[in-house]
Amino acid sequence: MSITATPTRFAAEVRAICGTEHVVESPTENICGVVPSLTVIPGSADEVAAILRFANEHRMTVVPAGGLTQQYTGNRPPQVDVLLYTSRLTEVEHYDPGDLTIGVGAGWTVAHLSSKVAADKLFFAGDPPLPERASVGGLLAMGLYGPHRHGYGGLRDYCIGVRFVTGDGRKAKGGGRVVKNVAGYDMMKLLIGSWGTLGIITSASFKLFPAPRQTQTFVSCFPTAAEALEFRSRILRSPLDPMCLELLSPQASAVLTPGSPAAAWWSICLRAAGSDAVLARYRTELGSAVTHEIRTGNEEGFWHAVANFAPTVRERHHDCLLISLMLPLADLAPILDRTAAVAESAGLELAAIGRVGAGHLLVALWPAADMKGVSLDFVKAFAALRSALSHDASMTVLHGPEVRGQINAWAATPTDVTSMRAVKQALDPNDVLNRGRFAL
Amino acid sequence: MSLPQVVEQLRKIAGRDAVLDRPEDLMLYEYDGGIRKSTPGTVVFPQTTEQVSQIMRLASSVHMPVVARGAGTGLSGGAISQPGGIVIAFSRMNRVLEVDVENQRAVVQPGVVNLQLSEHVSHLGLYFAPDPSSQKACTIGGNVAENSGGPHTLMYGVTVNHVTGLEVVLPSGEIVHYGGKPAESYGYDMAGFFVGSEGTIGIATAITVKLLRKPEKVATLLAIFETVDDAGRTVSAITSAGITPAALEMLDGWTLRTIEAYCHAGYPLDAGAVLLIELDGLREAVEEQAEAVSAVCVQQKAREVRRAKTEEERALLWKGRKTAFGALGRVSPSYYTQDGVVPRSKIAATLQFIGEVSQKYGLTIGNIFHAGDGNLHPLILFDIRFPDQLERALAASEDILQYCIGVGGSITGEHGVGMEKRNLMPVLFTEQDLDVMVSLRNTFNRDNVLNPEKLFPTPRMCREVSGPARHPVLAQEGM
Repeated sequence: MSITATPTRFAAEVRAICGTEHVVESPTENICGVVPSLTVIPGSADEVAAILRFANEHRMTVVPAGGLTQQYTGNRPPQVDVLLYTSRLTEVEHYDPGDLTIGVGAGWTVAHLSSKVAADKLFFAGDPPLPERASVGGLLAMGLYGPHRHGYGGLRDYCIGVRFVTGDGRKAKGGGRVVKNVAGYDMMKLLIGSWGTLGIITSASFKLFPAPRQTQTFVSCFPTAAEALEFRSRILRSPLDPMCLELLSPQASAVLTPGSPAAAWWSICLRAAGSDAVLARYRTELGSAVTHEIRTGNEEGFWHAVANFAPTVRERHHDCLLISLMLPLADLAPILDRTAAVAESAGLELAAIGRVGAGHLLVALWPAADMKGVSLDFVKAFAALRSALSHDASMTVLHGPEVRGQINAWAATPTDVTSMRAVKQALDPNDVLNRGRFAL
Repeated sequence: MSLPQVVEQLRKIAGRDAVLDRPEDLMLYEYDGGIRKSTPGTVVFPQTTEQVSQIMRLASSVHMPVVARGAGTGLSGGAISQPGGIVIAFSRMNRVLEVDVENQRAVVQPGVVNLQLSEHVSHLGLYFAPDPSSQKACTIGGNVAENSGGPHTLMYGVTVNHVTGLEVVLPSGEIVHYGGKPAESYGYDMAGFFVGSEGTIGIATAITVKLLRKPEKVATLLAIFETVDDAGRTVSAITSAGITPAALEMLDGWTLRTIEAYCHAGYPLDAGAVLLIELDGLREAVEEQAEAVSAVCVQQKAREVRRAKTEEERALLWKGRKTAFGALGRVSPSYYTQDGVVPRSKIAATLQFIGEVSQKYGLTIGNIFHAGDGNLHPLILFDIRFPDQLERALAASEDILQYCIGVGGSITGEHGVGMEKRNLMPVLFTEQDLDVMVSLRNTFNRDNVLNPEKLFPTPRMCREVSGPARHPVLAQEGM
């Protein structure tokens, strides 16, 4: 029995499901260098399910896509039969500002969602890079976050419901639309950060927050990373409760401010929300460490740039190695030290940025001079960094075209891999979704 | 293998004094905080993860159903054994293994009592945020299984928001690790998925939890209303004003009079309802919010807003809330607590509906609940000695939960589905939703040895692997 569908045959099937106008047979986009056989934009969860059932039956491979802001991550897939966009899934499932919750289709952009609720003085905490393009589905699948991670928690804390289609074409859901709900398995947790390997998210519900009425950003500069991190620890021990608490290395500041030379300082940027009295208290507690303040009005641009660090560094250093780390708080200082030493010995430039109150660090490495032989330097630097991690730290390679195929994107996780494989087997037994990109 | 042989094996694994099998001992393990009962075949008290692993391996090889049990305070039958099954009780795995101040984490064994962890780290200015009303007794292992909440989950979230790592024994006996001390980990969030799986995926034997810094300032307010309606509307008015209290609890007039008679918390005897509101955080912010909340309450027709002036006054207000269930025990032989959730904007309408249900079935229903997040706990009073009353209580409860689902809510906010609500799962989830969940359970718990007949509806309502065949010996012994 032949199980492989020919491109012509599955194009006809997919057209029959979604309508000819929503299928493109000679697409121009590529996934890590691989051009898909066709792209499709289904208009409903039922259509997504029909496509995945067909793909599952014929052992095809499907790559889910939102705004294409993160598709550079992962290994080069052997083939891509279908690139499936969620951009037509834009229904509002529920929205009552009084409930402080909203449910929207996966195709909504994050910027659209944020501005919709801002009109009612509410606040959506998700702040991925490129929010004008990044989709809600992609935000969840990639487990993305930005500076708001510090004060509002991760997606696992404020995504309260999800609808999705499994790799074998079953339409399912987890959670619901109320802020407190423990009925059934918590499917949100499995899908968030699963990198599109378990199911295609078709819609999601979120907890919203009251929009802060007034905010202010306090910047403090230090000659070394260790001193900056000690200041972070002081803040964490204090009664202060900031919205954002971010570390910027000297090179990271330079990346975010084009044209400027690398500053000599490591900075801790703290954003606080509250009345004049509350902000005055921050000023007192932070004391003389504060070098300057960014006031309401100029803040948005600054924090937007911080959230966009990953795409910005990729734009300026196309072939950089971009690594994301989740660490116990106490490990940040030694890991940064180790990274700096590794970079120096390999002749690499280093930029680091992170939500250092939550243990997240984003590290970019690129060659100081020419690119010759850089892939070997990258592999060595990566190996050195990996071996320095404690047993419960985790690490992924978000970007690294020079080392693709030599480094697995899911580079280190404290979680039992056999259990992860069992989950994959239960939801996508034929490995339809993102086959070959994220080896477990 | 016969039951006595299994008991003998368990004694070899856990020690001679660590296994119960006499009927008078087993009786203590046949119930939890819910209304169902079932007698286990044996109870074993492991002291190490390795013993739990050996017990699971034994149970799987002889196909005997197993349930993990903390303090048995759960309200949904989650810790009730199958007749003749094995209960793994965690009262001897009750140590705090590590307090890591710098990383703001503690690693605990599942038998650690919820409140004891906060007391253990109190001198460091830290605490464990999930605070179920049963926190003086319930264990963190049980909190993980049920994804328990409490009054302060409005601001701080339920148990899953405070668990970052787990050591788990799978039904195969394998010991695995999910996550660790970092706030999140790359790879599938197995720790997040495990919390709230109601003991159907594996057994947690070590739990890494977040420790929070105690707030600098706490303000506790009691807002007194003439009617339940006014109080209900005030809840969404507070959140709409841009304020997220740490806790926002509501008690209706009947309930607060019952509590007042029991513990003299100072609740007003003639009120229609009260809101117990707590704000915490930075001193300046708390003062401003307390004023703003008072203003909203007055605007929404509160008769009076009192503020606790001392820590003693605050403790007294909370004592009333937290001992409510005990107070009800004085006025009714039995009560049935529900755990429905509705969107905040539907609170007033839902309370009205509960009033109608109370009249329809001729049963008193008290209301005490986590109003801030729409998590209702209607307390249906009845006398279990009269079977028709139990039937009416169950019917009333189903009406209420169906209503919650109808307005976009859920059947459980923090108690879990367990045995008692599993037949409502098909109202909340489609057959395919449940099929996906069951396929995950079957992946880990293939033979359904671990906590069978829980969480998912009975096989005829939803395709699933049925529970392990009753052990022939158990059948012979009439168990």
